[in-house]
Amino acid sequence: MAELLARDAIRLDERAGSRDEAISRCGAVLVEVGAVAPAYVDAMLAREQSVSTYIGEGVAIPHGTLNSKESVQRDALAVLRFPDGVDWDGFDVRVCVAIAAAGDGHVDILAQLASVLMDPAQAQRLRESASVDDVITILEGKPL
Amino acid sequence: MPTRTVLVGSASGLHARPAALFVAEAAKQPVLVTIRTGDKKPVPARSMLAVLSLGAKKGTEVTLEADGDDAQAAVDTLADLLERDLDAVDA
Repeated sequence: MAELLARDAIRLDERAGSRDEAISRCGAVLVEVGAVAPAYVDAMLAREQSVSTYIGEGVAIPHGTLNSKESVQRDALAVLRFPDGVDWDGFDVRVCVAIAAAGDGHVDILAQLASVLMDPAQAQRLRESASVDDVITILEGKPL
Repeated sequence: MPTRTVLVGSASGLHARPAALFVAEAAKQPVLVTIRTGDKKPVPARSMLAVLSLGAKKGTEVTLEADGDDAQAAVDTLADLLERDLDAVDA
């Protein structure tokens, strides 16, 4: 999973007043690192309208719809940490793992992320991670 | 114990929208249904994280199992759902 996650796509100190603002920030980072075209951000917002991407443990995984694949320039992840939390349809989201994926490679990424989050201690470490290295280590599934 | 093995029918695999619909339906069942791929450990079908951790793609063989009253109906309901393409707009 870590090979899809560039260091500059990890942002530890984000703030957003709403779920959609948080998704827009996630999309903006994916655009910045050259993973997606700006149109992908609209698809991420549309996906969230259709089904929430909240997966538990204070983590959401915003990504585009199936027909937004053409906006994906390369498969990539971005991790945005929101220390103050974001109200996500009633859930308190602290971390967004934004996904850009053209094929079904993201299913493996998600499986790995979910496995990490099923350990409540690892999930807490991710929510409270203080450095880019912490985030990478946790997502690689290694103990700190 | 009622068991059914089916192939995941959703184009994008068992994640995001298909997983959300599946987990919501599993939570509605009166019995605890488990899901597994291959010989791996069964996990609760009503846990989003557990279902995502399977990494099931379109065509992946998954096995549902439940025990108790109405277990057969619960397994059948969820198996039928898995076989459909839940990415389709009308799903």
